[in-house]
Amino acid sequence: MAWLIALVLALPAVAAVAAWARNDVAARVSGAVLGAATFACCVAAAMVVAGSGPAEVTRWLRVDELSVIFLLATGFLYMVSAMYSAGLLAHTSDDVYRRRLLSGLHLFALAMLAVPVVNEIALLWTAIEVTTVISALLVMLEDTEPALEAAWKYILIASAGLGIALLATILMYFAGTVAFGAHYQPYLDLLARHAGTYPPVVTELVLVLAVLGFGTKVGFFPVHTWLPDAHSEAATPVSALLSGSLLGVSFYAILRYYVIARAAIGPDVPRRTLLGFGIATLLLAALYLLRQGNIKRLLAYSSIEHMGILAIACGFGAPLALAGMLLQVLAHAAAKSTAFFGAGALTLRFGGRDLSLMRGGLSALPWSGSMFLMAVLALAAAPPFGIFRSEFQIVLGGLSAGSYGPVTVMVVLVTVAFFGLALHATRILLSPLPPGVGRAEASPWTLAAMACGVIALLVLGIHPPTDLALLLERAASHLGAR
Amino acid sequence: MLAAAPVPSVFNGTAEVLAMVVLLATFAMFRTQLLRAQVKLYAVQSLFVSGLALAAAVTRGESELYVLAVVSAAVKVVAIPAVMRRLLDRIDGSLAGHEAFSVTTAVLVGIAVAAFGFFAVGALEVRTALLPRAALAIGVAVILESFLLMIARTDVPSQAIGFFSLENGVSIAGLVVATGMPLLLELLFLFDLLVAVVAFGVMMRTLHLRSATVSARGLERLRG
Amino acid sequence: MVLSPAAIQALQVATVLFGAPLVQGVIARVEARLQGRRGPRVLQPYYDIAKLFSKETLWPDHATWVFLAAPVVAFCCYLIFPLLIPVLTTYGLPLGYIADIFGSGFVLALAAFAVALAAAESGAPYAQLGSSRAMTFAALGEPIFLFVVFAVALITATDLPYVEAATVRASVAQIVRPAHLLAAAAFFLLMLSDTGRIPVETHSGTLEFGMIDEARTLEHSGPLFALLKWGSAMKQLLLYTVFINVLVAPWGLASTGAPGDVVWAIVSLLGKAILLGCAVAVIDDSFAKLRLFKVAGFMAAGFLLAVLAVLVLFLGAG
Repeated sequence: MAWLIALVLALPAVAAVAAWARNDVAARVSGAVLGAATFACCVAAAMVVAGSGPAEVTRWLRVDELSVIFLLATGFLYMVSAMYSAGLLAHTSDDVYRRRLLSGLHLFALAMLAVPVVNEIALLWTAIEVTTVISALLVMLEDTEPALEAAWKYILIASAGLGIALLATILMYFAGTVAFGAHYQPYLDLLARHAGTYPPVVTELVLVLAVLGFGTKVGFFPVHTWLPDAHSEAATPVSALLSGSLLGVSFYAILRYYVIARAAIGPDVPRRTLLGFGIATLLLAALYLLRQGNIKRLLAYSSIEHMGILAIACGFGAPLALAGMLLQVLAHAAAKSTAFFGAGALTLRFGGRDLSLMRGGLSALPWSGSMFLMAVLALAAAPPFGIFRSEFQIVLGGLSAGSYGPVTVMVVLVTVAFFGLALHATRILLSPLPPGVGRAEASPWTLAAMACGVIALLVLGIHPPTDLALLLERAASHLGAR
Repeated sequence: MLAAAPVPSVFNGTAEVLAMVVLLATFAMFRTQLLRAQVKLYAVQSLFVSGLALAAAVTRGESELYVLAVVSAAVKVVAIPAVMRRLLDRIDGSLAGHEAFSVTTAVLVGIAVAAFGFFAVGALEVRTALLPRAALAIGVAVILESFLLMIARTDVPSQAIGFFSLENGVSIAGLVVATGMPLLLELLFLFDLLVAVVAFGVMMRTLHLRSATVSARGLERLRG
Repeated sequence: MVLSPAAIQALQVATVLFGAPLVQGVIARVEARLQGRRGPRVLQPYYDIAKLFSKETLWPDHATWVFLAAPVVAFCCYLIFPLLIPVLTTYGLPLGYIADIFGSGFVLALAAFAVALAAAESGAPYAQLGSSRAMTFAALGEPIFLFVVFAVALITATDLPYVEAATVRASVAQIVRPAHLLAAAAFFLLMLSDTGRIPVETHSGTLEFGMIDEARTLEHSGPLFALLKWGSAMKQLLLYTVFINVLVAPWGLASTGAPGDVVWAIVSLLGKAILLGCAVAVIDDSFAKLRLFKVAGFMAAGFLLAVLAVLVLFLGAG
C-alpha cells in the first residue's frame, strides 16, 4: 500500500519534470503514460482498501474508503487530461507554452491527488491552497485579456475563501485541544474519533466556516462567481481538471469537516447547512443553464449544478443518498471531462466558444460530436449513464429520509437543468451543417480520452464493479453512521 | 449600578495592545493612497504579529514559539514586503485605486464590521489560558477589515496586501486559540503565504504587461 | 500648615488663569525654534494681553449686546471649568463634584457656542465662515467625546474625572490596557482639533480662507479681544490638563493640603503641560494641514479609536 501511495504522488512529479524535455513527443507521450500509470495505482489502491479496509502509510498519509473515491475520480481525470493534452499540444510551436502547460497540469494533478491522501487538517488546507495557486497560474497562462480577468477573480475570491477555511482549520485545532490538550497533531481520523468532547458552539462555527471557505472552491452559491469565468477561459484540459476534479476534492475537504461536526454536534446542523447551500446553488445553476451563450460556461454552470446536488445529497443524510453522492462524484468526473473535451473539439472546429456559432456539430465531428452528446445527456442525468443512477439513488435516499420538500425542489430544478442542457446540445449538434464547414475529426488522442470517459460512464451506469459498490457503501456508512 | 470592567493583567493588556495595533494598521491601510506606504504598513502589521508570537513565547517559554516568531518576522516583515517592493518598482503607477467608497465611509463601515466581529466572538464561549480573548476578537476584526479592504480597493497590489493582512488576522487568532499547534504546521502556513505571493506577483506583472496598469477596473467583461 | 480646600480651589483657577499665557508663550518659542526662527519672548502673551486691555473697544454697527457679552461668558466658562477637574489635587475639592465629565463638557461647549454666536453676530464674512466651520467640526467631535466618556465610564463605573485619574494611578495594568490607551489617543486627536492645531488648522496662519477657530475673533478688539485670546490660551491649558491629569500622567498632584505639595503640583502641572505642548509643536511641524474636506476623515480616525476602546471593554477584557 505504501508503495502505491508513494507512486500516486511520485508519478505526476516525474511527469512534471519530464514535461520540460526538449523532445516534444517524449514530453507529451510520457505525460499521458504516467497519467495512465497514476490512475492504475489509484485503482490498485482502491482495490486494496476495498479488500482490507483503511490503510495508513505514515501518520500523515492515510487512505480510507472515502478518500479512495476521490482519489479514483482525480486519478481518472488526470489520466484523460494528460491524454487530451498530448493531442492538443501536438501542433503547438510555442515550446515555452507547451512546457509550462504540461508541467503545470502535472503539478496541479499532484496537488489534487495529495488532498484525499493527507490525514491532517493543516496539510489538507495547504494542499487545497496549492491547487488554487497552480490552477490560477494555469488559467493565466492563456494570456488573453479574459483569461487574465478570470484568473484575477479566481485568485482573489479563492484566496479570500481559503482565508476563511484557514480560520476554520485553526478553530478546529482549538476544538480539539479540549480532548487532547494544547499540543497534539490534528490528524483527521483522530479528530473524528474523539469528536464527542468538542465544544458545540465552536464546532458549529468551524463547520459553517469550512463550508463557506472550502465552498468557495466547490462553487457554492454565493461564492461561486469566479467559477464560470475560470472554467471557460482556461485551456481545455485545465478546465476539465478544474471542473471534474478540483471541485470534487474541495468538496472532499468539506466532507471531512462534516464527519467531524456530525460526530460532535449531531447530524441536524451539518445536514441543514449543506442542504441550504445545496438548494441555493442548484437553483442558481439551473437558471443560468437556461440562458447561456458560451459552451464552456454552460458546462461550468452544469458543474455548479452537480456540486449543488452533492451538497443536497449530503444534506439528506440517508446511506443510500450518501452512496449516490459518492457515485455522482465519480460519474460527474467522467462526464464532465468528456464534455469539456468535446467542447474543446467543437470550439476548435467552429472557431469560437459562442454557442450561436456552432451548428451541425454531429455532421462536422461524427465521433467526438456523438460522444459529446452522450456526455451532455449523461450530465443531464439521462439513463443509462452513471449520473442517472447516482441521482436516482439520491432521490430515493431523500425520500427514505423523509425530506419530501427538498426532494421535490431538487427534482424540479434538475429537470430545469436538463432542459437547459438538452436545448443547447440539440441545437448545436443536431441542426444541419452550415455550408462551407467541412467534416474533420479531432485528433486520436482526443477521441481516446473521450472514449475513456464514455466507457466509464456506461460502466458506472449499467453495472458498477462489485468492489466499487462495496467501497461506496462503506464510505457512505462512514459518513452517515448512526 | 454599573460595575467597573475588570482590569486585565499587565501581560494581557500588553498583548491586547499589540493586537490592537495590528487592527489599527489595517485601518490605516484604508487611508494610504501610496502603494509603497501600504507595503510598509503591512510590514509594521506583521512586525506586531511577530511581537505577539514573541510575547506568547516569553510567557510559555517554549522554543517552538520563539522559532515561529523569528521565522514569521523573516517572512512577513522582510521577505514579502521586499518582494512586493520589487514588484512595485517595475510598475509605473504608485497610487492605489479606490473608487468603491471614500476613506471616511470606509472607516465608518469598518467600525461597523469590527463591531460585528467583536460581538460575534463575544457570543462565543472561548476560554484560553495563554492570550486574552479580546485578542481573538481583534484577530477576527482584522480578518473582516481585510475583506473590506479587498472590496474597497480596485488595484491588484492593494488586494494582494488585503489578502496578506487577512492572513495576519488569522495568525493572531491562531496565536490565541491554537498556540500549541505544531511548529511544522505553522511553518507550512507561512510557506503557503509565499506561494500566494508568487501567484499575486505573476498576476500583477501579466496585467501590467498587458494593459500598463495594475488597476482591476478594466476586468469586468466576463458576466453571466 | 495646611491649605484649606477652598484656598486650593481658588489656586486651581489661578494656576490656569495665570499659567495659560506662559504655556502658550513657551510653545510658541519652541515652535519658532523648530522652524529655525528666534521666536517671540516666552512672556509675550502676557504683554499682548496687557496691551489689548489698554486699547479702545470697537464693534460693528449692527451688533447687539450678544457681541459684547460673548467674550465675557466664554471667559467665565473657562474660569468655572478648572473647578471641576483635578488640576492640583488627587482628592476631590468641595466644588469638584458639582458636575461630571458631561457637565464639564457642556461648560466648554457653552464657551465655544458663545464665541461662535458673537462671530455670527458680527456680520463679517470671515468671522461667520470660521464660526460655521468651527461648529461643524465641533459636531463631528461630539461623538468622539461621547465614546471617550463611555470608555471612562466602563473602566471606572463612574463618570467623574477624579475617579478616572485615581484608577490610572492605581496600577500599571490600568495603563497598558488597550481601552485606556485608545481612549487617551482619541482624546488627543480631539484635543488637537479643539485647540486649532495641525492637521486640522494652522493656528499661526494669517490666511483667512484656511482659518477655523482663529477666524471667529477677527472682528473683536480691545479688552474683549484680550479676553478671547486669554480664553483660548486657557482652553488649551485646560484640555492639556484633562489629558495629562485625568488620562495619561496623573502623577505629581498634591495628595494633602500642605503648601509644599501644592506648589510642587503647580510646577509639575505647568511642566507637564509644556512638555505636551512641545510634543504638539513637533506634530505641528512634521505634518501638513489637511484639506478642509479631509478633516472629516481625521475625525473619523478619532471616532474609530474611541469606539474600539468601548468595544474591547465590551469583551470584558480590555
